[in-house]
Amino acid sequence: MLKITGLSARVAGKDILKGVDLTVRAGEVHAIMGPNGSGKSTLAQVLAGREDYEVTAGSATFEGRDLLALAPEERARAGLFLGFQYPVEIPGVNNVYLLKAALNAKRKAAGEPEVDAYEFLALIRQKMKLMQMSDSFLTRGVNEGFSGGEKKRNEVLQMLVLEPKLAILDETDSGLDIDALKVVSAGVNSLRDPKRAVVLVTHYQRLLDYIVPDQVHVLSGGRILKSGDSSLAKELERRGYDWVQGAEVA
Amino acid sequence: MNRAPQSSALPQSAALRSFAAQWQKRPPDSLSPLRDAAMRRFLELGLPTTHDETWRYTNLRALAAHSFVDAPRAAAAVEPHGSLPLLDASDRAACLTLINGYPSLPPSNEGIDGIEINTIRELSNLDPQRLQHYLSASDADQQRWVLLNTALFVDGLYLKITGKVAKPLLILHVATADGADAIAYPRIIIEAAPGSAATIIEQHVAQGAHTPLNNSSAHIALGRHAQLEHYRVYASGAGATHFDSLDIRQDHGSRCRQFTIVLGGGLVRTALEARLDKPGASLDSYSLLVGHEDRHVDCVNIVTHGAPDTGSHQTARAIAGGTSRVVFNSQVIVDAGAVHAQSQQSCRGLLLSPTAEIDTRPQLEIHADEVKCAHGATTGRLDPDMLFYMLSRGLDRTTAQSLLVYAFLADVLTGMSVAPARAAIESALIAQLPDSQTLRKFR
Repeated sequence: MLKITGLSARVAGKDILKGVDLTVRAGEVHAIMGPNGSGKSTLAQVLAGREDYEVTAGSATFEGRDLLALAPEERARAGLFLGFQYPVEIPGVNNVYLLKAALNAKRKAAGEPEVDAYEFLALIRQKMKLMQMSDSFLTRGVNEGFSGGEKKRNEVLQMLVLEPKLAILDETDSGLDIDALKVVSAGVNSLRDPKRAVVLVTHYQRLLDYIVPDQVHVLSGGRILKSGDSSLAKELERRGYDWVQGAEVA
Repeated sequence: MNRAPQSSALPQSAALRSFAAQWQKRPPDSLSPLRDAAMRRFLELGLPTTHDETWRYTNLRALAAHSFVDAPRAAAAVEPHGSLPLLDASDRAACLTLINGYPSLPPSNEGIDGIEINTIRELSNLDPQRLQHYLSASDADQQRWVLLNTALFVDGLYLKITGKVAKPLLILHVATADGADAIAYPRIIIEAAPGSAATIIEQHVAQGAHTPLNNSSAHIALGRHAQLEHYRVYASGAGATHFDSLDIRQDHGSRCRQFTIVLGGGLVRTALEARLDKPGASLDSYSLLVGHEDRHVDCVNIVTHGAPDTGSHQTARAIAGGTSRVVFNSQVIVDAGAVHAQSQQSCRGLLLSPTAEIDTRPQLEIHADEVKCAHGATTGRLDPDMLFYMLSRGLDRTTAQSLLVYAFLADVLTGMSVAPARAAIESALIAQLPDSQTLRKFR
């Protein structure tokens, strides 16, 4: 589904990614872990199409298409979703209207008619229930005045409504208490499906107790230094990132 | 009476000479001493220049080269709404139409509950002292055009709100001319009696191929605990020039909400001077200033807190595209003795093109202790993080950009309590944005 080869990227004149290789197949959940500043968020943003991040080398294909040639909105309509680490507040733009516009943009790209208003409301209420969100989210501006945890729930809500083929969740677990973490994890797990894939970008192993990944990668210094199964996350938790970075030096 | 200006004050520009010529042709009336004083002062001071503090960003040199003649008293036919229907007949208490400042009032047997309507001519016979109270203008540079209006206006509208008026009153200012270089001098006085409550919408529209220069002046006086929501809305074409001056005086505990909405016009200059002279008076002023193409919008607000426990909130949102320029000058003065005054100024500008310009200048002058005053001004482009967020959800770029522009103006729009007028203004705004089709679904 996603094939990244030798991907290098620069942000504000600084090389952050230095040759990332990663292959994600349909049905898989991958976790990308790594210390702060290792390039995890940059990788997520580059895949979503952030324009001020400059790709200097390498390639990324999504279902065989050249992902890097697509505009961010085209990537979204093709089925890629980025859950933001810091979801932006957009006062004055209604949360639900944005979601409806997003869903309709996707449907339009697929040649489907716009969603019926009544059906949409039923759908969103069902997903909000799963995410344990109150009705006030319906009327508020996008992320406006939301707590950190509410913003993350809102990201997962958007993902559930848009049903992407590939979801990249950038530190969706950070800032969540244990109850919220369970809710968010249940939301992500509900989307697991042989036709979809999820990439979890996370700093801590904690999330992976609830969403068990098929593969774990350690990103450090802009490269993937080590890959393994879910036991790698537990080992990292025990031995710290220095262990992997030390191995690289040695 | 010798009405010729003295040689030392000989008008230098064609515009000034034409104004002097208009003045000389006016028949004397009961206001002549006042008018003469205003005209002499105006001729001495001349047209405002960019050396005048509140005219720094608006250059009138091109205008000074024109010779102006009086705009006609009547129009061939008046379109009921101009280009922007703000209120249907069922949504309003009444619609009063002024053509180039000349009121055409409904027959007296069609009165409106809670509002007494007169012309200024009638007021000058009934209560000349009251009228003169409103006509004295200062020398301040933001009052320059008011001096000219005082010298040359022929008639106008005097409203007295005596009770609680449920529906908004619409005042339609129609500007129309037979040829180029006409000028009109609309004048309006609104008195809100103690305890009264009303909403008044002044809408300026242009009609016909030629649009006169519109030099309008309005006065609003709120009695004790009176409440007024007042709008002035400009939605004329690129050929229209407006100089509008509004002064507001507020008595004990009165509450005024004022909206200045500039959606159109080639050169629009609005001035607001408010005095909160009695304890407990409060003013919320909202300015929505839209510049596009090569339009020029200049808005100056001066609010003086002259008594304890007075409050003012100013919310200004300016957007500028094309090669337009939008200026917002706001000054809050807290006089000595105005303890516990509260004031907030929030001015935000949004640039939609690299060749547009926005200048916002919030100023604060405090002479009293124990006051709470805050001001903030920002101008920038669309937030790239917000834009990327919306794109990453699959929205078209034009839709996302327009939505952000619309959202930027929301603080002013949501303040409007007249739902149909708000909807009409929103529609007019949206029509100026790209991808208006999709945007309409977001309302």
